[in-house]
Amino acid sequence: MNSILEHLKNKRLIWQANQQHEPLLRDSTGFIELDSALQGGFPQQGVVDISTPIGIGELRLILPAIQARQVSTKRLLVCIAAPMQINGEMLLESGLALDQVLIVQPDSAEHALWSAEQCLKSGCCHSVLLWHPALEVHQVKRLQLAAEQGDALQFIFRQQHTVSLSLPVSLAMKLSAQSQGVNVHITKRKGGWPAQPIDVNMSQQWPQLTLRPRAPNVIAFPHSKVS
Amino acid sequence: MKSLWLYLHFPHLQLDALYSAEQESAPIVILHGKSNIVLQHNKAAADSGITFGMGLGTAAALDHRLQVLPYQYDIEHKKLQEIAEHLYLVTSDICLFPPDGLLLRIHNMLTLYGGLTPYWQTLSSQLAHFNVSYHFATGQSPYAARLLARTQWDRISEDMKLLKQQISQRDLRHTELPSKTITALNRVGIHTVAALLALSLKEVAKRFDIDLVTYLGRLTGEFHHPVSFFHPQTHFERYMELLYEISHTDSLQRPLEHLLKSLEHFLKLRDLLTQRIILRFHQRDHSPLNVEVGSAQGEYQAKKWLELSALTLESLKLQAPVYGITLTTGSTHIRTPEKTDLFAGNRGALSYLQLISLLQAKLGEAAIRQIGLFDDFRPEQANCYCAASGETPMQLSQRHTTRPSFLLATPQRLTEQVSVISGPERISTGWWDNKPVVRDYYIGRTRHGKWLWLFKTPQAHWFVHGIFS
Repeated sequence: MNSILEHLKNKRLIWQANQQHEPLLRDSTGFIELDSALQGGFPQQGVVDISTPIGIGELRLILPAIQARQVSTKRLLVCIAAPMQINGEMLLESGLALDQVLIVQPDSAEHALWSAEQCLKSGCCHSVLLWHPALEVHQVKRLQLAAEQGDALQFIFRQQHTVSLSLPVSLAMKLSAQSQGVNVHITKRKGGWPAQPIDVNMSQQWPQLTLRPRAPNVIAFPHSKVS
Repeated sequence: MKSLWLYLHFPHLQLDALYSAEQESAPIVILHGKSNIVLQHNKAAADSGITFGMGLGTAAALDHRLQVLPYQYDIEHKKLQEIAEHLYLVTSDICLFPPDGLLLRIHNMLTLYGGLTPYWQTLSSQLAHFNVSYHFATGQSPYAARLLARTQWDRISEDMKLLKQQISQRDLRHTELPSKTITALNRVGIHTVAALLALSLKEVAKRFDIDLVTYLGRLTGEFHHPVSFFHPQTHFERYMELLYEISHTDSLQRPLEHLLKSLEHFLKLRDLLTQRIILRFHQRDHSPLNVEVGSAQGEYQAKKWLELSALTLESLKLQAPVYGITLTTGSTHIRTPEKTDLFAGNRGALSYLQLISLLQAKLGEAAIRQIGLFDDFRPEQANCYCAASGETPMQLSQRHTTRPSFLLATPQRLTEQVSVISGPERISTGWWDNKPVVRDYYIGRTRHGKWLWLFKTPQAHWFVHGIFS
C-alpha cells in the first residue's frame, strides 16, 4: 500500500494539502470572468501552460496582464520562437513599450528552452512567451525553478495537446474559440481545484474581433426552401 | 641602489607536486631514470634511513613497502611555473631556474613592502599555499643567491658584508662551474670560493677559460647577469599527477576538488569568471579523454564547479585507468557584482545587456532581435526586426488600430471559407518607391474561430496577411 502511495506521489499524481507552502500571489488578468475563475488572476511567477489553436485570441487573453506587469516592473518581455513575425503595431496598440520587448529566434527547440531558462533566471524579464510544440516534465521543472529565481512569468503556447501528462506547471489552460472571445478550460491550477470551462468575453476590449451577439428577437432564416 | 636577489630552491618538487604524497605513510622515492639513484624522498622514506644518492637496491632493502617513481622533468617544471604564477601576485620580477629554482629580484620591491622582513613575510605566506618544502637565501647577485640557497643557508639579509662572507665560505662543488673546471681548480689547491676570489681576475683569465671569469664576475655582482623574467599566463592550466591510477569516476572527485580549488584561487584573485572548464583525463595506454563542463552564468567557485562536473562525470565512461588530470579554462570574463534586493530574496542578477550578450553568444547575433516601427501605411514596411541594442528605432506619427499580432512573411492565398466581420480599410500607397500597394483589408473569421487579416487586390484575389492571436 505504502509503496503504491509513494509511487503515486513521485509521479505527482497525488496532491497533498501540506504541499502548498504559501498562498500564491496573483495579478489580475484584466478579465472579470477569468479573475474569478483563477481566484485573483495569473500567478506572479511560474509557468503557465496554454494549449490553444493559433489565432483565436490566445495572446489577447494575456496581453492586459503582461501590459500591467510591464508598467509595474519596467522589465523585459521576451518572445521566443514565435511562429510568425510579431507585429509591433499590435504591441504598441496594447500599450507595451517596444524597447522593452525582445525577440529571440532560436534555431532549435533545445535552444528555445535554453534561452527561455536564461531569460527567466536573469531577473530582468517580467514575462517570457514561448511557443513550443511538446514539453517534458523535467524541462518544465527547470523553467519553473528559473521563473522563481528571476521572479518572472513563463507562458508556453502549445498547439497540439498531449493528454494525460501532468506537467508541474503553476497553471494549465486549454483554450477554444468562442464567438465573443475565448472559452477557457482550466485543467490545472496550483493550490486550487480545476474549474468548469468559462467563456471570457472580449467584446469590451476588442469589439472588432468579436461577433456581435444575436439579438434575441431575430430568428434565423431557414436555409431549406419551403416547398 | 644595490641590487638584491632572492633564490628559492625546491629540493623535492616532484614529490610535493604528487597528490597527497606527504600524508602518505608509505615511503616514496623519486629515482633518476638512468643512474637509479634516489633524487627525492618523503618523510616516511627518510625515517627508514633512505638518503639522497642512494641506489635503488639499498633503498629497497631498507624498506619493503617502498614506492618508486621515475623522475620527470616536466612535472617539476609545471609546478615551478605554477608557483611563479602565484608569487607574481606579490612580487614583480621572477625568473625561472628550471627544474627546481626560482630567482626573484627584490631590491625594487622593498620600498613597496617597507623593508625586507615584511616582504619576506608576504612572500612566505604565499608559498605556504603550496605545501612545498623549499630553501631560500638572498644574495648580491643571482648566482650568489642561488649558491647560498642550494647550500641551505635559509636566511634573509641585506647586509652585503655578511653575504660576501657567506659566499666565500662555500665549497666550489656547490657552484655552477663545470666539474672539469672544479677539478682543475682543486688541483692547484683552490677549494672554496674565498680562495678563488682572492686571485686577481687577470690571473684567472690567464690560467683558466673565459667562462670562469664570467662566472666570478656574475657571482660577485660586478658583471651584469642577463635574466629573462617570467610573464604570467592569461588563462588557467594545471596538471596534477595522481599517486594511484583511478578507474572509477567517483574516486576522481577528490583530486578534482584540489584542482578546482586552485582554479577558484586563480579566478578569485583576478576577479574573473569562466563559463567553461575543460578536464583532460590522461589514461594509461589510451588517448586522453576530454570533458567540457559549462556554466552559462559563469562561475569561479570550486564548490559550484564540482557540482557541475560531478553531473558530467556521472555519465562518463573511462576506457582505461587515469593517471593524471589537466584542468584548463575556456575564456574568462570580469565578474560583475550581483545586484540583489535585500528584501526580495535570491533573484537573478543579469542586466538587460548582459542577457542579450549571453543569448547572442549561444544563438548567434542574428537570432536576437528587437521590433522597430516606421511611419508607413504598408504593414511590411512599417514593421521590421532589427538588431538588439537596447534602443528601438521608432518613428511613428500616427497609430493604426486593430492590427494583427502576427504577420505572414509573404501574404498567402486564402484557401478556406471565412466570414468577413469588418472592413474594408483601403491601403493604396507606395507608388513612389516601386513597391506600390493597393489593397482592401478586411478582418475575417474562419469556421474554427480563427481571426485572419485579409486583403483583396483590385483583381479580386484574396490573401491572408496576418493572424489575430
